[in-house]
Amino acid sequence: MAIHEKSLIEAERLKTADHLVIDGVDVSGHWNTMITPRTLCDYDEHFEKTIQKYGGGENVHRCWQCGSCTNSCTMYAQNVNFNPRYWIYLTRLGLKDELLKDKDIIWQCVSCNRCTHICPRDVRPEGVMKALAHWMEEEGITEKSPATVFDEEFWDQIAERGRIEDSEVLKNFFQKTGQELTQDWLVEMIKRMLKHLPFKHLFRSGKNAVMHPRTQSWGRTGEVLKQYVQEQKEAIHG
Amino acid sequence: MSDTVLVVGGGPAGLSAAAGISAAGFKAVLVEKEDRLGGAPILSGYAKLVPSGEWAKDAIGRMVEQVEGDANIQVHKSTKVTKLDGDAGNFTATLSNGDTVQVGSVVLATGFTHFDSINKPEWGFGTFPDVLTTTQMEQMVGSGKITCPSDGRVPERVAILLCVGSRDRQIGREWCSKICCTVSANLAMEIKELSPETEVFIYYMDIRTFGLYEDKFYWKSQEEFKVKYVKARIAEVTASDDGRLLVKGEDTLVKRPIVIPFDIVVHAIGMDPNEDNPEIAETFGVGLEKHGYIDKAETYTNTCGTTRKGIYSCGAAYGPETIDDSIAQGKAAGLRAVADLSRA
Ligand SMILES: Cc1cc2nc3c(=O)[nH]c(=O)nc-3n(C[C@H](O)[C@H](O)[C@H](O)COP(=O)(O)OP(=O)(O)OC[C@H]3O[C@@H](n4cnc5c(N)ncnc54)[C@H](O)[C@@H]3O)c2cc1C
Ligand code: SF4
Ligand code: SF4
Ligand code: SF4
Repeated sequence: MAIHEKSLIEAERLKTADHLVIDGVDVSGHWNTMITPRTLCDYDEHFEKTIQKYGGGENVHRCWQCGSCTNSCTMYAQNVNFNPRYWIYLTRLGLKDELLKDKDIIWQCVSCNRCTHICPRDVRPEGVMKALAHWMEEEGITEKSPATVFDEEFWDQIAERGRIEDSEVLKNFFQKTGQELTQDWLVEMIKRMLKHLPFKHLFRSGKNAVMHPRTQSWGRTGEVLKQYVQEQKEAIHG
Repeated sequence: MSDTVLVVGGGPAGLSAAAGISAAGFKAVLVEKEDRLGGAPILSGYAKLVPSGEWAKDAIGRMVEQVEGDANIQVHKSTKVTKLDGDAGNFTATLSNGDTVQVGSVVLATGFTHFDSINKPEWGFGTFPDVLTTTQMEQMVGSGKITCPSDGRVPERVAILLCVGSRDRQIGREWCSKICCTVSANLAMEIKELSPETEVFIYYMDIRTFGLYEDKFYWKSQEEFKVKYVKARIAEVTASDDGRLLVKGEDTLVKRPIVIPFDIVVHAIGMDPNEDNPEIAETFGVGLEKHGYIDKAETYTNTCGTTRKGIYSCGAAYGPETIDDSIAQGKAAGLRAVADLSRA
């Protein structure tokens, strides 16, 4: 049978074989269309623990689904599909596939913490949103957020030289996030710096931008720091 | 050797304890801080009680008459105990009216304090005249007429919000008040009886009409009185331009925000520890448990015990409790107390 209201069904659940013959009858094409059922067939019991290991996710197990967070939420007011209560439920049961249907909006939490202040169980839903966003980034489910890219660039330079070079952080950040280098505000800022800064400063800035000096006696400090951070990560996420 | 028990608090638990002590052939001194006996159901003017359906003034009134007519029970109203000297079997209590009494044991039946809804300002109590507590709604039912306090109109819709002042870490109340679900279902039916054209909605997170209260109150309110239950914790109560109240929240089953107009909003308020408890703990030398109620001894062999020998407790002093159970515990505490007298 042809299915007339296909728009009501998620596209990936409609299965149609181009060529199919059953008992000598040709049922190719839409004659054999099947809808795969939406039954949930399993829970991922470990998923809640995974999310609890990310900063902010620790209290997710406390939730009793009252809906206060969602109702108070800044983003819910913009988009009723932004529903922290619902995602917390999915997280607790490990219904990852359902959760990932919303992967493109979960990270949109603006950290206003209205949910934090209303939650009667002190779940700290804002933290859970952060934990979910980090988990999705680490799993490569979502792209790294601009903030994460910036942090990484910043931190790489610190580890390397014990200090950052502003112009280089900006340049690499813009490159990695696909943004123009010649942003109007930046061009304007550089113009004004050239005009107003004393020559001595300009010379030093220019020299640093080219030479990348390290903090004095930085030595192996960066390596030790990196190793420590790595160990901490492994201790938490196994 | 004293033949008298001191009972502090004249609510259902204390009245039951005093009557039991007298029935066992001993004397009781009953000290009540208010100017009337009867405890919360009388002082706050409850309507028909769960589960008997009898009016509070009749049911608890009978208990008060029984105690006031008993020559073996000496009642001190508008009085508190200011000092307790001595030990189990031989206490001397000083009362705020200047009297002293010799008693062998003590029963603390000092009950609870109603949660003050002012502590949850987002739910509109104190701001809008048509936002009430369950105690005020009980009084309205008692008056026989359901109307909006603001202008006297008959409400088209009433919302009852459960768990107000209970089960909420934000305000340091981590207990369930046990009876308010059933009281709310009962109240909803009473409202429908008096005002059949009024629709009643109950906003809940869980429904705890335990034991035999399930069909008698929860199911009956749904099946016979068509009370509607919505799974949502209300975030805010505000007013609309036409003077009605707006109830805002997330309907968690529909996964949609709701802003629904109501004429009356009722807070199902919880049972806080008695606000006097720090003073009571000090005067009587008993401990309080972590929420602030009177600390219970192990129950299996030291039934109705506290942390101090010779001092017993019962009812809502121990934590949220029903009237029927408070009465039964009062009798049990009375029995423990007279057992101490006969041994002394
Ligand atoms: C809105 C509402 C409706 C309810 N309806 C029902 C119902 O229908 N059925 C039901 O089973 N339960 C009901 N309850 C619960 C019921 O109120 C309690 O179970 C009951 O009151 C407990 O009795 P009690 O004697 O332990 O305490 P209380 O009733 O609180 O009595 C304690 C007494 O001690 C006195 N006292 C306190 N401190 C001192 C002091 N320091 N010195 C001297 N005296 C003191 C008080 O004045 C009071 O008279 C309801 C509760 C609420 C909030
Ligand atoms: S912190 Fe995030 S989840 Fe919480 S209310 Fe704000 S936007 Fe919503
Ligand atoms: S407010 Fe807290 S308890 Fe309620 S649904 Fe949100 S996270 Fe869960
Ligand atoms: S009895 Fe019901 S309304 Fe009262 S605190 Fe418990 S769950 Fe909430």
